[in-house]
Amino acid sequence: MSLSDLTGRWKAFSYGFLDPSAKRELRRKMIKAVSVPGCQMPYASREVPIARGWGTGGLQVTLTLVKPSSTVKVIDQGADDSVNAASIRRFLSRVSGASETWDTLDATLIQSRHRIPEEKLSRDQILILQVPNPEPLRGVEPNMSTARQMHADADYGRMWLQLYEQMVRSGRVMLGASYPAMVNGRHVMTPSPIPRWDVKKLHMAEHLTILSAGREKRIFAVPPYTRVEPLVFDDVPYKVEDHAHLTCARSGVTGYFMNEIPQEDGSAGYEVSDSHFGIKAIDARDGGTPTVGQTWYRNGELA
Amino acid sequence: MAYVATRGGERAIEQSERLYRAQMGQIDAARVAEIEKALPALVDRVMGEASLYAPDLAALALAQSGGDLYEALLLLRAWRTTQPRLQIAEVVAPDAGFTHRRISAAFKDIPGGQILGPTLDYAHRLLATEVLEDQPYAPPAVEPAAKPAPATHPSLAEWQRAQGLVTTPEAAPVPRDEIPDLTREPLLFPAKRAHTLQSLARADTGGTLALGYSAMRGYGNSHPTVNELRLSEVEVMVAHPDGRRFSAGRVKTSQAEVVTTKGKGELRLGFTATLGWNEVKCISAATLDLNAPGAEKNSPVEEEFFLYHTEPVESSGFCIHFKLPHYVTFQSSLDNLRAAKTAKAEQAQPTDKKEETA
Repeated sequence: MSLSDLTGRWKAFSYGFLDPSAKRELRRKMIKAVSVPGCQMPYASREVPIARGWGTGGLQVTLTLVKPSSTVKVIDQGADDSVNAASIRRFLSRVSGASETWDTLDATLIQSRHRIPEEKLSRDQILILQVPNPEPLRGVEPNMSTARQMHADADYGRMWLQLYEQMVRSGRVMLGASYPAMVNGRHVMTPSPIPRWDVKKLHMAEHLTILSAGREKRIFAVPPYTRVEPLVFDDVPYKVEDHAHLTCARSGVTGYFMNEIPQEDGSAGYEVSDSHFGIKAIDARDGGTPTVGQTWYRNGELA
Repeated sequence: MAYVATRGGERAIEQSERLYRAQMGQIDAARVAEIEKALPALVDRVMGEASLYAPDLAALALAQSGGDLYEALLLLRAWRTTQPRLQIAEVVAPDAGFTHRRISAAFKDIPGGQILGPTLDYAHRLLATEVLEDQPYAPPAVEPAAKPAPATHPSLAEWQRAQGLVTTPEAAPVPRDEIPDLTREPLLFPAKRAHTLQSLARADTGGTLALGYSAMRGYGNSHPTVNELRLSEVEVMVAHPDGRRFSAGRVKTSQAEVVTTKGKGELRLGFTATLGWNEVKCISAATLDLNAPGAEKNSPVEEEFFLYHTEPVESSGFCIHFKLPHYVTFQSSLDNLRAAKTAKAEQAQPTDKKEETA
């Protein structure tokens, strides 16, 4: 027996960059996360060739799930051409041989930072959300060990108190993105910093969502057909961003989440945040026949 | 797919990387060799924080990143994590290994003697500007002592143990092949002792210094005395598949053991060891370790606090991530602000309405 019998043929990198032991751990932790929806599972979280805080958690999940026949879409703030999204997508196809796409309908894996696409995802798609801070309790309890204990005890009193205090001080709940939600009636999770507009898309969705925080080394999941209920008081309804009536200046679509663009004359213009959805609308307006999927929102209301 | 080539940031990111790399020009083996030779302290620091003992790779990472330490670390860590774990080396005791430098501030003299070894501690910090005027500086040759220092030195803590001044914590009964490995498992609290020491070994030098210094200035509960500071080279002993033990090479290591007299009638120790020679880090990190037992929650000397916040790759990455666009989250908060403002303005109205109805 020699050392060369014990090791494989030398290659500079494994398929999909991560080595098999890292992928095995991630697969196991993903299964655990799916089994206990919304519960944060600690994992080793290997270093990857992009900086921590730049999507390393999402990247490790995508690298584990990707195969040559995959079609990968990567978005940042809803845009496929955002520099970091472009960089991650290029890295993914480079190390896996998977195809790249901008079209939500064509993608088998969608890695996203801060948005869920406007077109509905199906059971054949997996959404991977990059998570900066996996701990919904961080604002009321910065100590991770204490927060972990609070989840175990389903002790969410301080979260409710925080919501109540905001109502007393500001007249409404002031939580912006990352609105905490109760998953499957048991664990409060952060949906990652997606806008309130997107949180409801996770409720009883057909697709699997995996949320992964690389720097903080936590993975959690929302399996298909799982309840995801934003924390609200019975008599104070959940409010999404007031975008239902806004119209995109470039594509003409109304009733979707918008980016506000300050104008030189002091006014504000709007463009649809889901950039490829906007591209499809422009294509349709110009006489093309793009395939547009069913959307979660219709006429500015959740369908 | 028609849009991919024509739109967006792909050209921009490629060109921005080229702009950065243009500053450094061509990187060749000679430059890497020169970095390795000329900057041993920097190479050591990077190897320790990367937890990868490979001077040539560390020098390469420094050349490739143009000296950006956090970038160099990330290059090494990302490379390291893809490598298979072939063997777990034999445990090295603190007093094993070829000792280059070993000093103690706790006693005037110690068994084995105070060995200064290589240090700039007593140098006059004068900038050698004449070098810039074409007068190269050649260090004077070292004159060997008449009696060479012994290759190994006993541990001072052993003497203190024999005196009944410190109690040895009982070693956890962990087989060598099952020592917890921080690079393959998440850090959870209360941390396993192995995880704490591994985490400190790869911690950010500047980060441990900042938090350790805060403890030294009085934000901790104990003041450190350097019981023993040691720079050595140790053999990495591994087993050949046929069963023979052999040395895979020597690595430079540094260790600091700090001590406090504030204890329940005996001395308490704090310890840190790391790859490469890095005294500031070991003393700072050992001070944090010394202060950790019984530390107040959320104080800088609480284990969870300092281990999380001295992780160089995580902290630097998160810091630079704020350069990424955040306009969706910003939009979401703006919506709340405006709505709250509108509601407040409407609340201010009712007095007028009352007058109208009256």
